[in-house]
Amino acid sequence: MNETLKVDRRDAKLALAHIYVAFIALALGGLAGLLQTLVRSGKFTLPANISYYTILTTHGVLLGLVLTTFFIIGFQFAAVSRTAGTFSDRVRFWGWIGFWLMTIGTAMTAFFILIGEASVLYTFYAPLQAHPGFYLGLTLVVVGSWISGFAIFAHYARWKKEHPGQVSPLLTFMAVVNMVLWLVCSLGVAATVLIQLLPWSLGLVDRINVLVSRTLFWYFGHPLVYFWLLPAYMVWYAIIPKIIGGKIFSDSLARLSFILFLFFSIPVGFHHQLMEPGIDPFWKYVQVVLTFMVAIPSLMTAFAMFATFEMYGRSKGATGLFGWLRKLPWGDARFFAPFVGMLFFIPAGAGGLVNASHQLNQVVHNTIWVTGHFHLTLATTVVLTFFGAAYWLIPHLSGRVMTKAMNRLAIIQTIVWVVGMTFMSGSMHFAGLLGAPRRSAFSTYGNSPQALEWIPYQIAQAVGGTILFIGIILVLVIVTNLAFFAPKGETEFPVGEVAETAERTPLAMENWKLLIGITVALILIAYTIPFIDMIQNAPPGSKGYKLW
Amino acid sequence: MASEKIKGKATEDSNLKGTLASVFLLGFFLIFTWVSVYFLFLERL
Ligand code: HEM
Ligand SMILES: [Cu+2]
Repeated sequence: MNETLKVDRRDAKLALAHIYVAFIALALGGLAGLLQTLVRSGKFTLPANISYYTILTTHGVLLGLVLTTFFIIGFQFAAVSRTAGTFSDRVRFWGWIGFWLMTIGTAMTAFFILIGEASVLYTFYAPLQAHPGFYLGLTLVVVGSWISGFAIFAHYARWKKEHPGQVSPLLTFMAVVNMVLWLVCSLGVAATVLIQLLPWSLGLVDRINVLVSRTLFWYFGHPLVYFWLLPAYMVWYAIIPKIIGGKIFSDSLARLSFILFLFFSIPVGFHHQLMEPGIDPFWKYVQVVLTFMVAIPSLMTAFAMFATFEMYGRSKGATGLFGWLRKLPWGDARFFAPFVGMLFFIPAGAGGLVNASHQLNQVVHNTIWVTGHFHLTLATTVVLTFFGAAYWLIPHLSGRVMTKAMNRLAIIQTIVWVVGMTFMSGSMHFAGLLGAPRRSAFSTYGNSPQALEWIPYQIAQAVGGTILFIGIILVLVIVTNLAFFAPKGETEFPVGEVAETAERTPLAMENWKLLIGITVALILIAYTIPFIDMIQNAPPGSKGYKLW
Repeated sequence: MASEKIKGKATEDSNLKGTLASVFLLGFFLIFTWVSVYFLFLERL
């Protein structure tokens, strides 16, 4: 399984380049996040006529799209190179082309947001209309990511050819599933941008079919969250067992859960559109059922994690029902940060089941509850796992080692994040249940009693946001140290081994014709009829608006 | 698939009682949250 123990230096440079951009995005986006919570507390106004929505768009795009995509692609390049062997020059060359396209696209997008020409939020909902440069920049980001995806596919194909009849390395397989998922879903966002938004923003067409553009966005937008989550699951399934000194509970279970994510994370976009008129309730219902199916692989993951930890603890002599918890390496930030991420996925997942239920969605839709929800899933579970991975990945790639002091700082960083996020996300959830809207600058809405109820929660959000910003500074200190200043040396890239008791992995799990065939079939079932309906029975389209 | 995994290969250290308890606790928490918001929904009907 371990063809090379170390990522080749040339591949390491490619992975590191992605990770640097990711953390620069974290620095700028984190600052925007802090400003948002301060504005929403009502005690602070932005200087120089800067719009709240410009800051909010900067935050959402930099953290939701740039930080994630760059970290994920960098991490996956490293993981594939480590487990399926060093890249060929051609694969690496295309990896760099992908990187530069994404980086130029990001710079372009950021430019148009910051000059105030694109405050359309990271979901760029029509009929809000941005400058064409914003859409072009995002197109470059997506095309760049496709090129990197194909580079990974090519490397995987070569491995399969050189190892006929063998099961591919787990991490490589997972990276391939994630890039297939990304490719299939980002076709939707590419379609709305190239066919609808760009011509409309260039003035070539006057009006846009809003419902179609939102549907294409959410066809992309939900699998997007699994594109963020699956790399975290890669760390949990395949890397954490090695870090704690245990074994992977089951290779087939891990692969099966990834396959289920591929099947069920795409045909579910309507759960973001439950309150949208113009979609037949029957099709909303079908997609809600599929949404509950996609909870299954996450529940499988929870089970596999508990089992990994318990098996390890018991092998170290733990007794009692929960004695194994005490055997885990709490002082190791490579374990602690992702573990806390896992814990936060429990309330995050519970909130997700609420969001996905049609009636309960009426309670929380477009309230700040939703923002609280994805700051648990994305900004805690995924992000803390990425931080935990960065603590060994960056020194592995930069040829350095993490010192004890930095490890301690990383533990503190995790605790700071927990405290800040508990305040911020907790108060977002409660304020949301009381009806406070998301994506809104401070307002008392003419001193309406309901809006006045929200203010204490908004102050708590600002307290949490400030603590979180300290957390961002700490992680940036650690990451800069690991990349440039830590002592030189060798750091392990941990890759778990499968427990002897586990069953052999069936080769059918890599039958891509079958896997992609089922994926496409489910998409066609869930979307064809309602989509035709949206086009045939469309109301007149909408002109563009710039409301900021 | 699950039954395949269990058959035969169990050894004495494959005691997963804590895992069973944990997944039950997780399930109860999910149900509790869902039902809480459901009652809020009913109250506001
Ligand atoms: C210092 C840490 C952070 C703070 C204080 C913060 C604060 C906020 C606030 C207050 C909002 C919503 C405002 C509104 O709806 O009016 C928001 C939105 C958002 N945040 Fe964060 N956040 C932080 C970190 C993160 C991280 C790490 C991520 C992702 C990795 C993230 C992703 C997002 C996204 C995608 C939105 C939605 C933007 C939109 O609605 O268009 N945030 N954040
Ligand atoms: Cu979703």
